[in-house]
Amino acid sequence: MRLVFAYIDPGAGSLIIQALIAAVVSVPFFFRNAIRSTIGRLRRRPSGGPGGASGSITPEDSGATPTDAE
Amino acid sequence: MIDRPAAEREPGSYRDPSGFVFRRDGVLYRQVNAVFADDWAAFESSGLHAALVAAGVLIADHPVPVDLASEAGAVTVIRPDEIEFISHPFEWSFSQLKDAALLTLRAQAMAEEHGMTLRDASAYNVQFHRARPILIDTLSFERERAGEPWKPYRQFCEHFLAPLALMAHRDGRMGQLLRTWFDGIPLDLASELLPRRTRFSPGLAAHVHLHARAQRRHAGDTDASTRTAPKSVTMSDSRRKALLDHLRRTVEGLHLPAHGTQWADYADQTSYSAAGTASKEAIVQRMLEAVAAEGGRQAWDVGANTGRYSAIAAAAGFEVIAVDGDWAAVERDYLALRAAGETRIMPLLADIADPPPGIGWANTERASLLQRANADVALSLALVHHLAIGRNVPLPMIAELHARLVPHVIIEWVPREDTMVQHLLSAREDVFPGYTLEGFRAAFEARFEIVEEAPIEDSRRVLFHMRRRD
Repeated sequence: MRLVFAYIDPGAGSLIIQALIAAVVSVPFFFRNAIRSTIGRLRRRPSGGPGGASGSITPEDSGATPTDAE
Repeated sequence: MIDRPAAEREPGSYRDPSGFVFRRDGVLYRQVNAVFADDWAAFESSGLHAALVAAGVLIADHPVPVDLASEAGAVTVIRPDEIEFISHPFEWSFSQLKDAALLTLRAQAMAEEHGMTLRDASAYNVQFHRARPILIDTLSFERERAGEPWKPYRQFCEHFLAPLALMAHRDGRMGQLLRTWFDGIPLDLASELLPRRTRFSPGLAAHVHLHARAQRRHAGDTDASTRTAPKSVTMSDSRRKALLDHLRRTVEGLHLPAHGTQWADYADQTSYSAAGTASKEAIVQRMLEAVAAEGGRQAWDVGANTGRYSAIAAAAGFEVIAVDGDWAAVERDYLALRAAGETRIMPLLADIADPPPGIGWANTERASLLQRANADVALSLALVHHLAIGRNVPLPMIAELHARLVPHVIIEWVPREDTMVQHLLSAREDVFPGYTLEGFRAAFEARFEIVEEAPIEDSRRVLFHMRRRD
C-alpha cells in the first residue's frame, strides 16, 4: 500500500474522483495524440525534413520548455 | 557567530514544513529545511530549477550563506528576486487569474519533463512581475513518485477553476468570492452557483460538479470506513498527463461573455474637448516628471479606467499599478497591455473606497491594500467627484487617505458645474455644500503643500501636484 505525502490536504473525494476522471479522459487523450503523431509522421515523410523528436506522446503545447533538449 | 539583524518570518509563510520566507534587514530570503533536502537537491540536479527560471515561469533566486537562516533546521537559504508589488487573486481580472492558472499548469508540465511535480497549486504562489504572471514559491516542486495522483488537484480547482468558471458563466464579479474564501472557493458552492448548462460542459461537469459530489460523499471517510482508501489511490503517469491536459483545455475554454459595464465604456464619455485632453496630458506628464526628478519610481493610477494616464506615467519612467474598481475596465486594460507587450503597468482590481483588508490568520496573513501601498505618487484623475459625491466621502477624508498612501499626489479638481458631476447629481439631492475649490484646497493643504496648480485648458477642471508635509 502506498501513501500520499503532502503538506496540503489533497481531499479524500478529490483523490478518488480525479482517478476516475483521469481514466475517462485518458481515452480521447491518447486517441488525439495517436492521430497527431500519425499526421506528424506522414507530413514529415514526403518533405524529408529534419527528424527531431518524433513519436513522443506528449502533446505540443505552449508549455513546452525551450531549454528542454530531449 | 556573526551578529545579524533579527529575522522576521513573513506572516503568510507558515503552512509548509519544507521551508518558509522571512525578512532580515528588509531583505527577503527563503529558508529550505532539512526535511526537504532531497527534493531540493533533485530540483537542482534535474535542471528543473534552471529551466523554470530561464523560461520566466519561476522567479529567479540567488544562493546566500546558510548561516543567514532564520531558524534551526536549514540546509539552504536563497534570496529570491523581489516582486515590485504583491497582489492578491481577488484583485485580478478574469484573464489575469486565467493566465495565472495556465502558468501553474505550464510549471507542472515542465516539472514532469524533469521527473518532478508540483506539490501545491495555490493562486497565492503566483504573482505579477513586470505585468506577467510568475511563480514565486521556489519550494513548490518535489520528486514525482510513480503512481501518485496529482495532489494539488483539489487546490487547483478551488483556487483557479471554480472562480474562473463562475466569472465566465455567471458574472464577472464572482471573482470577489475569493476575498471571502481566500483559500479557494468551496466546490459545492461553485457547483450550486454555476448555471445548470455547465453540467453539460465536460470539463466543468467533471472538475467542478462531479468533484463537488465526490467531496461531499467522502467527507466523513476514515481509512477504516471506506472501500477505496483515499491515501492508496494510484494513477499511472499517462493518466495523470491526460487529467492535466483536460484541466488545461477546460481552463483555456473559459471566456468572459463580451459585454461591457458602465466603466469599461466610460472612456468616450469624458467631458473633455480635444484641446482639453491634450492640455491635461501635457500637464500630467510635466507633473510626473517633477516627481521622477525627486526620485519617484512607483506610481498608482487610481481609477485608471482605460489606462491612458498609466501609459503616460510608464513613459515618464514609472512602474505603474493601474487600480480600478470595475472588473471589466481592469480586464480590458489587462488584455490591451498584454497584447501590446507592456511590462511596466500592472492593472489591479480594487475599490479605493473599500480597499481589500488584511485577511487570513490573525488578519495578517495577506496584507491589506493600504499596507502594500508602496508608490511614490498617486495619479487621482477624475476621481475626487466619484468619492466626494458618488460615495459621500468628505474632502478631508479623501485628503487623509492620500496622505496615508503616498508622498506625492497628482489630483484633478472636478467642479460642481462639470457635466460629470451634474450627472452624479441628476437623481439625488445636492447635499454637498462643501464641495468647492476652496474646500478642496483647504482639505488637502492640511496634509500636503501645493507644488503646482494648473488649470486645464478649455475646461473648468484644475490639476494639482502636491507634496505631503512630513
